Amino acid sequence: MTDSFRRGAAEGFRAFLPLSLGLIPWALVTGVAMRSAGFSAVESMGMNLIVFAGTAQLGTLPLIAAGAPLWLIVLTALALNLRFVIFSAAIAPAFAGIAWPKRMLAGHLLTDGVFGVCIDRLLKSDDPHWRLGYYLAPSAWTWLLWQAFGLAGVLGAGAIPREWSLEFMATIALMLLLIPMAKSRPVWVAALAGGLAAVALRGLPLKLGLVAGIAIGIAAGFVAEGVQFRRRER
Amino acid sequence: MDSAWLWLTFVLIGLASTGPRASFILPGQRVRLPGRLQRALRYAPAAALAALVMPELLVEGGTVQPFNARLAAGLAVVAVTLRWRNPWLPFIAGMGVLLLLRKGFGL
Repeated sequence: MTDSFRRGAAEGFRAFLPLSLGLIPWALVTGVAMRSAGFSAVESMGMNLIVFAGTAQLGTLPLIAAGAPLWLIVLTALALNLRFVIFSAAIAPAFAGIAWPKRMLAGHLLTDGVFGVCIDRLLKSDDPHWRLGYYLAPSAWTWLLWQAFGLAGVLGAGAIPREWSLEFMATIALMLLLIPMAKSRPVWVAALAGGLAAVALRGLPLKLGLVAGIAIGIAAGFVAEGVQFRRRER
Repeated sequence: MDSAWLWLTFVLIGLASTGPRASFILPGQRVRLPGRLQRALRYAPAAALAALVMPELLVEGGTVQPFNARLAAGLAVVAVTLRWRNPWLPFIAGMGVLLLLRKGFGL
């Protein structure tokens, strides 16, 4: 472990710590939901450890509980995880010069929160050790929180009153990622178009409304960037 | 529920999660997206986050509901985030407004 890895790890952990609060209720809710779907405690933690993806876990639970065909369950998980292909492509340059087992681990641990918080500084640094530390420390912390509070939810299912609305903390966490991004007008347009499209298309099956919303948002941002560029040319 | 089938399901969902995540990190320098696509994809995180958040704030019971407790809480989060830099405050303000409206006013 080099010095710059340790420095990166400390800085990444500090940058991510406040936002990681939002993971706690999400992990709890997911733990409770898996038990409600009829899994045993061991099966629930098995899913938590193998999948490690809140949206995919929560999104496929109703299908598994309803006895849906396997292909539909896997397709739904893929649709929910499509955004990670995009995140993976954007973050990949940060792992240049890192051996493949560590890249495999980095890939497995990729989450919305760490991506949102860390991507800017990750792509600006030219020290591969610092980058790896800056990415892995908050990612490992995310993993730990996810398993610990998932377990708490699995074991305490039924003890947390529903009227506390704790699941809303996950929405707050996502908003805290989004707000600082909306600095330029094209990003604004992308967010607004993506969000409204997801609302309008929410009735589509297989959560395709989410995927369509993302695609529409990207297209709108790209068009807005072109318009802005042409205005400046004049 | 057949237990072996369930574990198989978990493994496949796991592959459907790690696969997309590792898709560009694992191949490293060998696979690159074309420049235009990469520029367009810069808008993906904001679009994805908004697509996750806005239905949570605007939709209640399957219909668009512009006046609801979650939207009010969301606006409080935005206001607090833009005004102060304290990272814990948005959670306190958002949950405070939500619980006040839900419990105090039955919204």
